[in-house]
Amino acid sequence: MMGNVGRPTVKMAASSSAGRVLTLCKQFQNVFRISSAINTHQCTSTLTKCQPASLHREKSPLAALSWYSPISPVGQCRALHTSISRRGLEEFFDFPENWGETTVKSGAPWTAKHLRTKSNEDLHKLWYVLLKEKNLLLTLQQEAKIQRVAMTSPERLRKVDRGLFRLESVVKERETALRLLQTGQEKGRPGAWRKNIFGYAYWYRFKEYAIPWYMNRRYKRKRFFTPKFVQPHIRLRLEKHLRAKSRNANFKRDTQSKLKETFPQMKVPAS
Amino acid sequence: MPVTRLLYPLYQLGNPQLRIFRPNWFLTLMRPGKEQPPDTVQFRIPMEMTKYDIKNYLEKIYNVPVGAVRTRIQFGSNKKRDYRSQKVKKPDYKVAYVQLAQSQTFNFPDIFPEKDQTPEEGSMEETQEKFMKDEQQRQKLDPRRGGVTEWFGL
Repeated sequence: MMGNVGRPTVKMAASSSAGRVLTLCKQFQNVFRISSAINTHQCTSTLTKCQPASLHREKSPLAALSWYSPISPVGQCRALHTSISRRGLEEFFDFPENWGETTVKSGAPWTAKHLRTKSNEDLHKLWYVLLKEKNLLLTLQQEAKIQRVAMTSPERLRKVDRGLFRLESVVKERETALRLLQTGQEKGRPGAWRKNIFGYAYWYRFKEYAIPWYMNRRYKRKRFFTPKFVQPHIRLRLEKHLRAKSRNANFKRDTQSKLKETFPQMKVPAS
Repeated sequence: MPVTRLLYPLYQLGNPQLRIFRPNWFLTLMRPGKEQPPDTVQFRIPMEMTKYDIKNYLEKIYNVPVGAVRTRIQFGSNKKRDYRSQKVKKPDYKVAYVQLAQSQTFNFPDIFPEKDQTPEEGSMEETQEKFMKDEQQRQKLDPRRGGVTEWFGL
């Protein structure tokens, strides 16, 4: 409601101050509260009117539909039904009845919990549904930018992105689980801990080469060892780190004790 | 955006063709800036996509017959300066011109048509608008004072 109220006030912002707007909003709220009893039947009528309009969004990939329950097996089969679309390039645009609307209704993004109940096949299909939806939204956004008008319901882009991200993570989870079972490897790409010439250890991920390593001059140029003369520097680095650490700790302790002196009633923080 | 940095195996002659299962490439259908032939569609595509990728993408995912694809890379402007008068680069992007096969035509529809925004009779928006109009009228300053602020004078 506040959002709707905000729009007309912008026009008269020149004539009224912010405080006045606030009181105005409050007044409107009061009026609305009184008249809400009268308005209720009107609201219900508008709701029922809205329903057939939202039916065609059943195909909307964003919507985790309300009638769908993840427990019932029948519902699971029905929830993600995608028929072959013959719309071609029309799929880059929204349904014509949504053109020029100020808002377009959309459901919540797919949650990871919800996606975990789906089979791999369903997830694969859903990826393409979301991909098409994102293409649609990007086209809409670009056209809005060119025509210099507001994009209708830009929050949909964010929702689709979230759905895609979660789907990706769910698929990754499954892959990892399967790999752990089959090979005992946690990571898909093998690797090893190696040290560079400065003595830092890091996770080196193995890569495929077309020729063996002893013939590969570029590979041999990389140095996965720490020379002896670096040892004192490693020692110095460690010393520096430890000194900084102790300096910070001392500073903290001193400040605390000083504060304690000036404010004896002060509570000592836990950490 | 999902960041799957897939490392594909090195391709050597005789190996099976590489497949993409969950493509994270997103196309933007654009209104052509310059007039194009009726069978040409203009897309803004990610940099990594090639002509063959475009063809496969449209044919496999959208069931659109593709005749020919031409691509170019649009240089993003480098002229703008920020407040430190350093150059600000707009990102480059790739543009694809797709010619449809089977004598299909496409023209970009008007997806932001003018619709009358008058709220229907007896709806909440209408009462709200009416209320706001009344309040605006009420809070207007006294015209006899000639625009002098209310705190001035007795």
